[in-house]
Amino acid sequence: MKPLVLGLGNELLGDDAIGILAARELAKELSGEADIVESSLSGVSLLDLFVGYEKAIIIDAVKMAGFSPGTIMEFDLSELRSVRSPSPHFTGLPELIALAAEMKLHFPGEIKIFAVQADDPYTVGGAMSQPVKDALDDLVIRIKTHIQRGRTSEITASIT
Amino acid sequence: MSKRVLIDPITRLEGHGKIDIFINDKGDVDRAFFQVPELRGFERFAQGRPAEDMPQITSRICGVCPTAHHMASTKTLDDLYKVDPPAAAKKIRELIYSTFFVEDHALHFFFLGGPDFVVGPTAPKAERNILGVLGKVGLEIGKEVIGMRRQLRELITSVCGKVIHPVFGLPGGISKPVTKEEQQKFIEAAKHAVEFGKFCLKVFDDIVLKNQKYVEYITSDMYTHKTYYMGMVDKNNKVNFYDGDLRVVTPDGKELTKFPISDYLKHIAEHVEPWSYMKFSYLKDVGWKGFSDGPGSGIFAVAPLARLNAAAGMATPLAQEAYDRFYKTLGGKPVHFTLATHWARLIELLYAAERMAELAGDPEIISPTVRTLPTQTPKEGIGVVEAPRGTLIHHYQTDEKGLITHANLIVATQNNAARIALSVDKAARGVIKNGKVDDGILNMIEMAFRAYDPCNGCATHSLPGQMPLVVSVYDNNHQLLQEIRRG
Repeated sequence: MKPLVLGLGNELLGDDAIGILAARELAKELSGEADIVESSLSGVSLLDLFVGYEKAIIIDAVKMAGFSPGTIMEFDLSELRSVRSPSPHFTGLPELIALAAEMKLHFPGEIKIFAVQADDPYTVGGAMSQPVKDALDDLVIRIKTHIQRGRTSEITASIT
Repeated sequence: MSKRVLIDPITRLEGHGKIDIFINDKGDVDRAFFQVPELRGFERFAQGRPAEDMPQITSRICGVCPTAHHMASTKTLDDLYKVDPPAAAKKIRELIYSTFFVEDHALHFFFLGGPDFVVGPTAPKAERNILGVLGKVGLEIGKEVIGMRRQLRELITSVCGKVIHPVFGLPGGISKPVTKEEQQKFIEAAKHAVEFGKFCLKVFDDIVLKNQKYVEYITSDMYTHKTYYMGMVDKNNKVNFYDGDLRVVTPDGKELTKFPISDYLKHIAEHVEPWSYMKFSYLKDVGWKGFSDGPGSGIFAVAPLARLNAAAGMATPLAQEAYDRFYKTLGGKPVHFTLATHWARLIELLYAAERMAELAGDPEIISPTVRTLPTQTPKEGIGVVEAPRGTLIHHYQTDEKGLITHANLIVATQNNAARIALSVDKAARGVIKNGKVDDGILNMIEMAFRAYDPCNGCATHSLPGQMPLVVSVYDNNHQLLQEIRRG
C-alpha cells in the first residue's frame, strides 16, 4: 500500500515553506509510489488525512533550541512524548493517535517525521534562508530513500 | 529579591504563547505577562498586489480561521468597489459562515475548553485532554464530533472550492451558486447541527453547572474583569456573525456606542507596550488608562461572552432560550466571568446551527444570481466579521487600478489582548502564593487565556508532537534558580 507523505507548512512564511516545497519535489519524482498531500493545518484537523494509511511521512519546519538553520532531523513516533497543548491547533500527534485508536480508526502504524530547523518562519512574504534552501535537495533524497527502502523491504517480505 | 517564572515553549512545536511571571521576595506575584510572537511583514507583502487576491492571501496566512479572513476580506472588497452583492450571495456567504462557526466552536469545546471543565481544572495532566473528555461524555460523542466536523467541512468544500483556502468570495458576490443537491445536504446537516448544539448545552449543564466546584471557579473573582464588551449586532441588536453594526456596552451593560465599521478608527485605537509585539486595542471613547478594568478604562473584550453581553439577545428561538438561562443563572447582564466564555460559545454554536437551518431552507439560496459586477474605481474599503475568536477587521487602500497601497488587519486576539493580559496577571496573583508553582497552578493560569482561544497569528501549524513548556525561576539578576519542565 502506498504511504502518505504529508508536507506541512505555509508558503507565505519564509522558512515555513520547506515542508510544502519538499512535498512538491517528491510529487514530481514519486507519483504512483506515495500519496503526497500539502497542508497548513495541525493537530486534530490532520486526523482525516491519516485515516486509511499503513505508513505516513511528515515533513515540517521546526524551531528547536540548539540546532542551526537547515539541520535535518528525523524522528520516530516513539520519540515524541504525549502532552496536552495550549491550543486545539497544536494537539499532539501522540494524542491524535491515541484518539484514533480509541475510536477504532484505521491509523498508520508507522509514522516518520522529517523536520528542518528554520531560521525565520514568522515573516509574511519573507524569503527562505540560504541554509534552509540548501537543505531541500538533501531532504528530498533522504525521504525518497526512506520510501524506497520501505518498499524494498515490503517486496522482500512478500517473497520470503 | 524578585524571581522570574517563565512558562515558555522552547520550540515551535507548541503553542507559541509565553507567560512570564515575576515573583517578589515574599513569593507572591509581582506581575505576569502573556506574550505572543509577532507576525511580521504583512503590510509590505500586501503592497502592490491586486486587492482581489486578498481573500486568498489573508486566508492562507492564517490556518486557524481561514474562513473568517476570507469572509472579512471579501466584504472589504465589496466596500472597496462600492458594490452591493445580490441577496442570494449574501445568504450563501452567511450560510457558509454559520457552518464554519458550528464546526469551529464544537472543536474548541471538546478539545480545548472540554479538558478544563468536562475533565476538571485540577485533574491529573494525563487526563486533561480529548481522551479524558471522551471518557466522561462517551466514545460515541467523539465519533459524532469528528463525523459532523467532516460532514460540515465537505459541505464548505463543495461550495467554496477548498475549506482551508476558500476561493469563492468575490467583490460583489460569490463565484458560483448553490445547487439543489447542495441545498438538500445543507438542510440535513443543519438539522443534525441543531441537535448537536442542544446536546452540547446539555453536556455543559450536566457536567459543569451541576458541579458546585466548577461553578465556583467560573464565578470566582480570580477570573472576573468588569470591562467593556464589543460585538456585531443586526438591526434588532441581536448577535450576528456576518454583518451589522458594532455595538459596545459599558461594564454595567448600557450601550456606550453603536457604529458602522466605516467609523472604526473613531472608536478603536491601539496601545503599544515595550514588553509585547502585540498592539492592545482600546476604546477611544474612554481612553487608555493602563491595565485596569472598570468604567474608567477603555479595555474591552470581544468573542463569545462579549458578543452575548454586547447584544440584546439571539436571533433564533432555541439560542434565545439558552441566552435567557445563561443570564438568569449567572446573575444578570453583563456577565464578567471570563470562564463563562465556554458556555457562551455553546449558545453561539446553537445559534449558528439554527441560522444554518434558516438559510439552508430559504428558497432564494439556490438563486442563480450571485454576483453584481463592480463598476466603480476602487480607493478604500473596510470590512468586518465576527470571527469565532472575536471581531475581525480588514482595511485596504488601493490605487485606481486596485493595487494595494495600504493594508491593515485588526484581528480578534488583538482586540482581546489587553483583557487577556489582565486575566493572566490576575489568575497568576490568585494562585501563586509563597513561591509555590506546580503543574496544577500553571494550568489554572493557562485556563485564564485558554477561554479566549487566542490565535497567535502565524502560529498556524506545527509538527504534531510534544509540547514542552519550561518554567524557569530567576532571581533579580536573571540567575536561574529553578527549572520545571512540562511535558
